[in-house]
Amino acid sequence: MSGYLVTAVDGVAFGLLLYTVAAGLSLVFGVLDVLNLAHGVLYLAGAYVSYLLADGGWRGLALAVCGGVAAGALGGLALSALTRTLAHRGHLDQALATLGLAYVAADLFATAFGGDAKPASPPAALAGSVPVFGHAYPVYRLVFIAVALALALAGHLAFTRTSLGALVRATVADRDMVRALGVDTRLVVGGVFAAGAALAVLGGVLGAPILGAGPGVDRSVLVLSLVVVVVGGVGSLPGAFCGALLVGEVQTLGVRLAPSYAPFLLFGVMLAVLASRPGGLVPTVRAT
Amino acid sequence: MRTSLRSTAARPLVALLALVVSAGCSGSSLGGEAAGPASTVKIGLLVSQSGVYKSVGDDMANGFRLYLALNGGKLGGHPVEVVTADEGEGADTARPAAERLIKQDKVLALAGVVGAGSVAAVKPLLDANKVPLVGANGRPTKLADPAWVWHTSYISTEPGLVMGEYVHKAVDGPVYVIGPDYQGGWDEIGGFVEAYTKAGGKLANPDGKPVYTPFPGTKNFQPYLSAIAESGAKAVYTFYAGGAAVDFVKQYQQFGLAGKVPLYAAGFLTEGGVLTAQGDAAANIYNSLNYSPDLDNPANRTFTSEYQKKFGGQPTTFAMATYDAAAVLDKAIAAAGKDLTSQTLNAAIAKVGQINSPRGPWQFDAAGHTPVQKWYLRQVRKDGATLSNVLVQELATVGG
Repeated sequence: MSGYLVTAVDGVAFGLLLYTVAAGLSLVFGVLDVLNLAHGVLYLAGAYVSYLLADGGWRGLALAVCGGVAAGALGGLALSALTRTLAHRGHLDQALATLGLAYVAADLFATAFGGDAKPASPPAALAGSVPVFGHAYPVYRLVFIAVALALALAGHLAFTRTSLGALVRATVADRDMVRALGVDTRLVVGGVFAAGAALAVLGGVLGAPILGAGPGVDRSVLVLSLVVVVVGGVGSLPGAFCGALLVGEVQTLGVRLAPSYAPFLLFGVMLAVLASRPGGLVPTVRAT
Repeated sequence: MRTSLRSTAARPLVALLALVVSAGCSGSSLGGEAAGPASTVKIGLLVSQSGVYKSVGDDMANGFRLYLALNGGKLGGHPVEVVTADEGEGADTARPAAERLIKQDKVLALAGVVGAGSVAAVKPLLDANKVPLVGANGRPTKLADPAWVWHTSYISTEPGLVMGEYVHKAVDGPVYVIGPDYQGGWDEIGGFVEAYTKAGGKLANPDGKPVYTPFPGTKNFQPYLSAIAESGAKAVYTFYAGGAAVDFVKQYQQFGLAGKVPLYAAGFLTEGGVLTAQGDAAANIYNSLNYSPDLDNPANRTFTSEYQKKFGGQPTTFAMATYDAAAVLDKAIAAAGKDLTSQTLNAAIAKVGQINSPRGPWQFDAAGHTPVQKWYLRQVRKDGATLSNVLVQELATVGG
């Protein structure tokens, strides 16, 4: 029985990792109406940054976090510039452009780092395992839960309690009205893109010791993030949070309880959520 | 231009020219074709250049290229043009890639192919177009009428088959069996379960059936490892390759199973680049394979030292088998002689006889088209600063 509890804890860790990545994807989709399929490759970039810079000490981790966030923000700005010209051309064109970019980037990574999955070690102090409900559990995952929760809380406060956050929320709800008020929505758009991308890269830096860095990771993370966004409700941070935790638990506890249904569980749950709540768990209010 | 040179007077000139040109590459010239420059043959190398099996695909391509490099860029006296195509992660991508190689590039033969599922998907194309495949890795267990399909590697069930009896003797109690949910995984795991239960072993899995994890989606093995820890298993048998092998082995240690529940596996779990990524987490894992770089024979000494020189690092069984695929093509193309077509080549492959391989000599089973060969038990041990698969003992000779 205690095994199920550990697995539930692991579901939280996994869910929070997904939230770190999916929050950006959801916001970019909500604010810009841009479907950024290069989001998974941003995660992979972070994972490789972690592989390159993490040296088993705190300094390496700090370097990787700073470098990753900076690189992510720049990447986000670049993506925002790229998709601006496609803004009025619908999701298919955006998806094609960003997916193409993702393929090119993933291929460049594969050329630079090879086909093998690369190890990324957490700081030595966090490398061990401790008993949780009588089962060995990696310390790093526990610390990750705390860090990701803090990040989620900070994001939530910035989004709901600051004027900047209000501006972003207003842009999600009705971009034309915000523009009519004299706000340069391009700045909002660029800022959200940069923040979202930085979060995805940060997710990669912190997630690398959990999921590893290698070809294919970008795609699995992208697919899971898209599911989180759809399940949670497009453009909603609380929605992404609930969606991520749900997906995290389905992918761990769900698999533990019904291993033979593992391949279908995720999409089964997605179907169930969409059938009962077509707008997602926490739908956003939008001007029509 | 060319036709006029073919006149009798120009013939010696052409031969001379061919000699000068071929002198650049230190090729072994094979008799019988000295009259004119041998035509270039196209070989399609179908390997994973993307996805989770990219590193396996890279190793295979290296093995093939090494053989060509050591033999003057020629197979059976013909200069070779290698057309590489991306197999991707399996059947869906392998089939169109193979179709391009056969129909567009009109290759003489195919070589490589990482996945057993890909082989099954490509087979109808081979049959329809009468083009042989000299495969060098995964092979479906049940492949009816493999007229055009040859493998220098193994049948996917064999790594497990040779381990069943050994594990039953070595482990006092039930063994938990887990693997990836696709054709290759079913075969690898199925082979073990068959041999292990036949020897009298009992599975520790609650319902007596192996657990299959979604592939390639599974990154987090915690739910499965937690189930293993609570099952009371005395050992675990598994098969994973590529990135999944790294994830599984590292998490096996992180969640406290390493050192408590011994891990037995098909050799691919710790073969090649994945072992570096797994690091110390892989220590002590027992695994079965048809090759180990520390095998002591002349062919292997040349192979390992040249491989190390050209690509760095120890060669894997993937590289070795594709090196052998090139050797098979070399012998068969030479034997097919002047009348070289895909059909005559296929007939010649059937008669290549013994291949002097780095794994030791082997030959094709006449009916099954796969090697009859020795299998070895290896254990991951620290060899100085690096980990390597150390030869422990011979397990069995199987094949066909």
